[in-house]
Amino acid sequence: MVCIATFYSHFGAMRFKKACDRRGAPARLMPVPRDLSSSCGTCVRYESDVPCPTERWPEELEQAVAVTEEGYRPLYRAARS
Amino acid sequence: MEVKREKAGIILAGLVIGVIAAVLVVLGNPLNMGFCIACFLRDTAGALGLHSAANVQYIRPEIIGLVLGSFVLANVRKEFGSKGGSAPVTRFVLGFFVMIGCLMFLGCPFRMILRLAGGDLNAVFGLVGFVCGILIGVFFLTRGYSLGRTYRLPALEGNVLPIVQVVLLVLLLAAPAFIHFTEAGGGPGAQHAAVAVSLIAGLVVGALAQRTRLCMVGGIRDVVLFREWKLLAGFVAILASALVCNLILTGATPSVYFKLGLTGQAVAHTDGLWNALGMLLVGFGCVLLGGCPLRQLVLAGEGNTDSAITVIGLVAGAAFAHNFGLASSGEGPTANGKLAVLIGIAVVAVIACCNTFGKKRGESR
Repeated sequence: MVCIATFYSHFGAMRFKKACDRRGAPARLMPVPRDLSSSCGTCVRYESDVPCPTERWPEELEQAVAVTEEGYRPLYRAARS
Repeated sequence: MEVKREKAGIILAGLVIGVIAAVLVVLGNPLNMGFCIACFLRDTAGALGLHSAANVQYIRPEIIGLVLGSFVLANVRKEFGSKGGSAPVTRFVLGFFVMIGCLMFLGCPFRMILRLAGGDLNAVFGLVGFVCGILIGVFFLTRGYSLGRTYRLPALEGNVLPIVQVVLLVLLLAAPAFIHFTEAGGGPGAQHAAVAVSLIAGLVVGALAQRTRLCMVGGIRDVVLFREWKLLAGFVAILASALVCNLILTGATPSVYFKLGLTGQAVAHTDGLWNALGMLLVGFGCVLLGGCPLRQLVLAGEGNTDSAITVIGLVAGAAFAHNFGLASSGEGPTANGKLAVLIGIAVVAVIACCNTFGKKRGESR
């Protein structure tokens, strides 16, 4: 499935992308889509069979969603975000 | 397809904003200053008595409208959310020095575009410095710079700055004796469109900027990081539409709204080096803040208290700049202002280094 993960920092997104690359999950950095958030940071668009392609969700992660035909399906959201 | 629709929306918003900015000048705002977040916050600071430069004192309804326009649309679209806690004091300091840079150049990134649209070639030096500042900021971004995450806050927190804007509007309309207004003919503070016109313009631009996430800094940053021109296209559209409006107005009216050259420009000086260094400080600081002054106002309207603190930092910087002779004038920059810009670049660099290389980061691989 295709997923999008948003982060609290650009560097957090970079690290997650590298982690995806190491695990063979195709991933790329891009600006956060407007229909996902009103914030304008960096997100990672990745393809994976499981929601989290890394060992665990990184602490810099704000939210992760799966891209579906109906829109975005929430996969993860950081506490108090 | 979604991206194309988004890009078309941003360009359309930019075209509308450019027209609004040009019309505001016709209706009374200073030349090439349909909008200027830095100048308008500075004027508002003066009106509240935070500085005593009598020529720049007026509660600018455009600022009120920008925050409330964003606030209303964010609430309508259920995007309003009180959040903050990401290094607020650091953001205050960054906002402070971004304003010092703006008042060296005499304008924020938004006005830089409007100055270009009015034929002011001094803004080219500002643009070069601005891009350099953004590139420096991006260097730190890609090496780990972060001010930390934001947290959800009680609802009231995010509502405070919008409420303050309503109070400012009341003060503007009531005009009590303790609010300072530049006397007619006394300077840029006395040049303004009617309150209702300025307020509506601010509301429309605030809503458009909230919807499209327009940000001059974000636009150039995204081009550098992702080769993504979407956000920057909005500002190119502002430049194009304001330029066309200025040319039409110059041809159709007795007044001059477009004058190509370096000298004789409105609220501008010709010192290229300091125009560039001032905007370098602005670009560098704004990348670390995550957005230009316009974007900070819009985010504050969405309930982001970190941006609200940044706006307060901008206001404090404006007050400081005029109380201590740091702000430039049409005659050029001041010695104090040059020193303040150099200090500002050093301080912002230290903040960047401390938040890039000076942190132990949790492993999340």
